[in-house]
Amino acid sequence: MQVSNRSAVRSAINVTPLVDVVLVLLIIFMVITPQLQSGPGVDLPVTDRPQDRVDEGRRIVVTLDRNGAVWVDDEPVPGGGFAEHMRGLAEGRSDWSVVIKGDAALSFGDVRRAMLVVDAAGYKNVGLIAERREGAGESG
Amino acid sequence: MGMSSGGSDGMQSEINVTPLVDVVLVLLIIFMVIVPLTMRGYDMAIPGEATAAPAAERELEQIVLAIDPGGCPLVGPPQAEGLPAGCNVRLNDDTLAATELSAAVAAAFAERAEPDRVLFLAAHDRLNYEAVMRVVDLARSGVEGLRIGMVTEREPDSPAL
Repeated sequence: MQVSNRSAVRSAINVTPLVDVVLVLLIIFMVITPQLQSGPGVDLPVTDRPQDRVDEGRRIVVTLDRNGAVWVDDEPVPGGGFAEHMRGLAEGRSDWSVVIKGDAALSFGDVRRAMLVVDAAGYKNVGLIAERREGAGESG
Repeated sequence: MGMSSGGSDGMQSEINVTPLVDVVLVLLIIFMVIVPLTMRGYDMAIPGEATAAPAAERELEQIVLAIDPGGCPLVGPPQAEGLPAGCNVRLNDDTLAATELSAAVAAAFAERAEPDRVLFLAAHDRLNYEAVMRVVDLARSGVEGLRIGMVTEREPDSPAL
């Protein structure tokens, strides 16, 4: 077990593991991104302690913008067709969770009615999405 | 200035990966900035005929948090962070300031095990959504594992759906 390494000193850092890690991170982010950005951008309500949601991947994102327009995942739903659309999607997917991204400027009634429609369509889990306020303490 | 092409030193057998690393790192940073890290929010329970509570749970008194525009003037979008000073809510029959809500809810649920910790939310439809979420956030802050249930019956003064 004697150390007999007499070859020239290598001056370059071995960056291969770094490149591996970074590439994997990049791929993870590229895969996650489209799921997180379903529907149009809305100003989510800002609160201090929203829970992290477990990303189980089996979920439907309902977006309500400030004008009352409804998106389900990436598709806009024409006015009045929301209940029917959700019932249609619920076939075989009633154990999926539905998350509602409502614009902060909406009234609570708009969001509540959307929740009732989702519930009536047969989904078990409904969540309301919020954004954590910058600088709020980590708790809850 | 680096334009000489007469490199007569030993042949480099390794690929120069530095530009690749630069590009990939920049892409990574761009993605990290664009992506909001995780979705955060509040799980809501909507009690209905299909999901009737078990008998043991129904014997407990329900704790209802009521917010109406008379007690808490939050009809427009809130301008400042947090809640306005004059916001009063009702927890069952007690009227209290929103600032005391966290402690009051914690006291109300102190005796209950986690599966029975359900706070029913009866907020007026005209209230601003973000304001209601901030009140819910305050209410949840004092109790571990508190679930929020929606009151599906209409309040007498709510507009018809």
